[in-house]
Order: sequence, then C-alpha cells, then structure tokens
Amino acid sequence: MNRKKKRSFAGSRTEALVYGILSLVILLAVWHLVSLGGRIGKFFPSPFLVIRDFANAFVHAIGRNTMLEHIFFSLRRVLVGFGLGVVVGIPLGLVMACSKAGRAFFMPLFSIVRPIPGLAWIPLAILWFGLGEQSKYFLICMTALVGITMQTFFGALYADPVLIGAARMLGAGKFQLFVHIILPSAIPNIFAGLQGSFAGAWCAVIAAEMIRSDEGTGWIIFNGMNYANTAQVIVGMVAIGLVGLIASTLLKALERRLCAWNIQGK
Amino acid sequence: MEHSGKVAPIIECRNVSKTFKNKGNSLEVLQNLSLSVRENEFVVLLGPGQCGKTTLMNIIAGLEPATSGEVFFQGERVAKPNPKLGMVYQTTALFPWLSVMKNVDFGPRMRHMPRKERREKAQHFIDLVGLTGFEKAYPIKLSGGMRQRVGIARAYCNDPAVLLMDEPFGHLDAQTRYSMQDAIERIWSREKRTVVFITNNIEEAIFLADRIVLLTNCPTNVKKEILVDLPRPRDYVSRGFLKIREDISKIFEITK
Repeated sequence: MNRKKKRSFAGSRTEALVYGILSLVILLAVWHLVSLGGRIGKFFPSPFLVIRDFANAFVHAIGRNTMLEHIFFSLRRVLVGFGLGVVVGIPLGLVMACSKAGRAFFMPLFSIVRPIPGLAWIPLAILWFGLGEQSKYFLICMTALVGITMQTFFGALYADPVLIGAARMLGAGKFQLFVHIILPSAIPNIFAGLQGSFAGAWCAVIAAEMIRSDEGTGWIIFNGMNYANTAQVIVGMVAIGLVGLIASTLLKALERRLCAWNIQGK
Repeated sequence: MEHSGKVAPIIECRNVSKTFKNKGNSLEVLQNLSLSVRENEFVVLLGPGQCGKTTLMNIIAGLEPATSGEVFFQGERVAKPNPKLGMVYQTTALFPWLSVMKNVDFGPRMRHMPRKERREKAQHFIDLVGLTGFEKAYPIKLSGGMRQRVGIARAYCNDPAVLLMDEPFGHLDAQTRYSMQDAIERIWSREKRTVVFITNNIEEAIFLADRIVLLTNCPTNVKKEILVDLPRPRDYVSRGFLKIREDISKIFEITK
C-alpha cells in the first residue's frame, strides 16, 4: 500500500513542478506590475531589485556585515539558546515522566510557565541580562524550552505498557527499562518537539534582534525599516525564510535517520 | 483428572481470584481458580469471551498481583516478573525501534551476555522460526505472521523454562494461523519447553495440546480438563480429532 502511494506521487511530480513554477512566475509578475505603479511602488520594490540586493548582500556588507555573517550571528544565538532549551528541557521532561516525585515537584511550576508565550519574557530578559547576547539566549531558551519539555514528557509518559511488560519479562531492570524502552519510545515525540521549538526559537531571535542589536537577520529587517529601505526589509525576510527552511529540512533528515523504524519518520 | 503424582508441577495456581474495582463497581474475572502444569507439558487454556484469560496469564507471569490465592513457579511464589517465564503476546509486543535480530537477542543483552554468543543464539532461533534473511528488518516491514514468529524467537532466546502464549495467533488470518500452528508444533517438538497457551479456537487447542483446560466465562474458572492423546503432528480431520472436537463443542453448548 505504501509503495503504491509513493508511485502515484512520483507520477504527478512533473505536474506538481509545473504548477509550482507557474505559481512562482505569477507571483513575481504581479509583484513586478504592482511595483511599477507610482506611489505604491515607492514602498514596493521590484522583485528583481530584491533579488539583486539579496545577491549583493553576500558580497557587500549591509551595515557592518555581509549576509553570511548576519546569518551566522543569528544562527549562533539560536543554537546557544535552543541548545540550552534542549539541555534543560529533555531531562526535565524525562524526570517528570519517570519519577512521581519529580512530576509532583516540577509540574506545578511548569504549568505556570507553560502558557506564557516566549516573547512575554522580553522585558524581564532585558532587565535581568541587559541588552547584550545573554538576554537573547535567555529569551530563545524560554521560547524553546516549553515545547521540548512537553513533548519529551508525553513521549516518555505514554510509552506502551505492553512493551514495558515485555521488557520486564525478558529481564530488564529499572535502568535498562529507561534506556531501552522509555527513551526510544519518546524519540519521535522529542523530534516533534525539537522541530516545533526550533521554529519558535527562530522567531524569538528575530524579535530579540529587533529590540537591540548591530547585526543578524532580524537587524537587517529593522534597520531597513528605519531607513525606509523596503528592498532591504524583504531581503532580510527572504534570508530568514531560507535559513528556517534549510534548518527544518536538516532536522527532518536527522529524524528520518534516527526514526527509520517509525512510520511517522517516513 | 489424571496426575502422575510423582513429578512436582512446574506451575501451580492455588485458588487464584482477581477482582477489578473501579469507583464502586467491581468485576470478578477470576474466581478461585486452581491449575497445575507439569514440566514439558503443552497445556492449552481454552475459553470463550474476553474475560479473565489474559489477566490469568499476567498473574502467572508476575506482572499483576492476584486479589487472593497464590501462584507457584518451580515451588516458589511468583511475586514479580521472572525471566524464566517467557511471554508471547496477543498483539505484537515487539520493540519497533529494534531490528529482528536485536528484538530476539534482547533478553540475553539485558543479562550482558557477550555479543558474539548472544548473536549466535539469536540466529539459531531466527533460523528455527523460519526468518533467516530478515535479521536486519524492522518489525514494521514484517507481516503479522512474521512478527509473531519474531515474538516466539525472542521468548525462546531468553531460555525460559515456561513459555506463556496469550492468544498469539488471534489476530492472524485463517491460512497464516494454520501455518503458525504447524510452526509452533515443530519448534516445540525440537525445543521442548513447558507451554501454557491461551486460545478461543477449539481446533487450535486440539492440534497443539497435551491437555486442554476448558474455562468458563466471567468469572473465569476451570470447567473441565481433557487429555489429548493423539499422535503428533495431528490431523485436523482424523476420527480422534473430530471426536474431541465434538466433546468440547457439547461442553461449551451446555455452558452457554
């Protein structure tokens, strides 16, 4: 059944490609036409101008850095903050799932923090950590933490009791149960959490850079707005979109390798 | 009931009862059930309905406590899971993230058996259940019958003294079911173990059992025991087979 589905998809691939290119061409054409129209055109640069500026940005600096450097700054912030979220969130989720005492202790705290959107931490982040890198790491970490913790928690909590029983019957001790059953059971959920949280973290870094920074993709947008340079704004948006797309593709590929056994990982 | 009397039973259930209580409602699924199984005996628990059989199996396995009564395994009271009892499940309880090989050698791995040794052992049982060549496949790629074969190999590979099989072929189509019955009969005659096998299929019971324990439905208790004294492998349409089949059908119609 699986194979059939794949084949029919492959059959319509050319069709999908044609439609995809068509929609892109129409978008560019309409965009270009609108940009020609006098007053609107002032804040609506032609797509070709944007593409040119985007390519230029890799060679000539916007502000003090070239595009690759801006992306590097943003990515570094995301990776540090997101990494902190992973390092705290996964163990926290596992502790809450596996230990009754752990759940009783952390769950109330977590339930209070959970519904607070990550961006609501901006003022506290600034007051506690200033306007430098630390506040950005904190903000991104808080954004990513909730999703990662929740998904890890549910994944580990709902490990199949029949499988746990089977492993116990085969002689697995408590620690072995954790390593060989509970952890692998949670991995598909953990990956779902990582993917969702990465998107959140990438949002948070843009917000953080708009508040105060001298570089990064979020800064490109904000700086473009300050100078009424719409082309620069759109160049920044395109960069953000592309980096987000690449990152989520990489995470997907990693998931596919680690969860080859799982039907969701196909 | 025929008992040699000389050999102590390997499994003995004494007056086992189990009642589930849930907010004032209580459901008695096992009532004062006593049962003994001799070493290397193939005992089939045959009963209608969905009541009590799996619970009885879990109690024998030490996965669930009885409300009252006791279960003894090799003379000792069962209180927690014992790797000497191997379990084959109704649904595939294979670990989906492990390959066939790693599922089968799971038990020895938990006991830290050296890799080479446990791989050889697992290979032996994979070959025995007829899955040679599928060592690296994940369970999701296997058919229902193949998955049950992996489950059987996994249970065997852990060197259990007793195999507990809880309707292992219940979810298979009729054709696969026959071939699995053949397979289990063949494996059992080559690797003798005590087997406690649950089913609701009369033919399956007669084909496999040394002794059939007929169970009543809800609360489950022993209705009658029948010795199956037919040469193996058995013929589904032989006179002896059909005679036992008729006897059992009569008994069940009365219980209805």
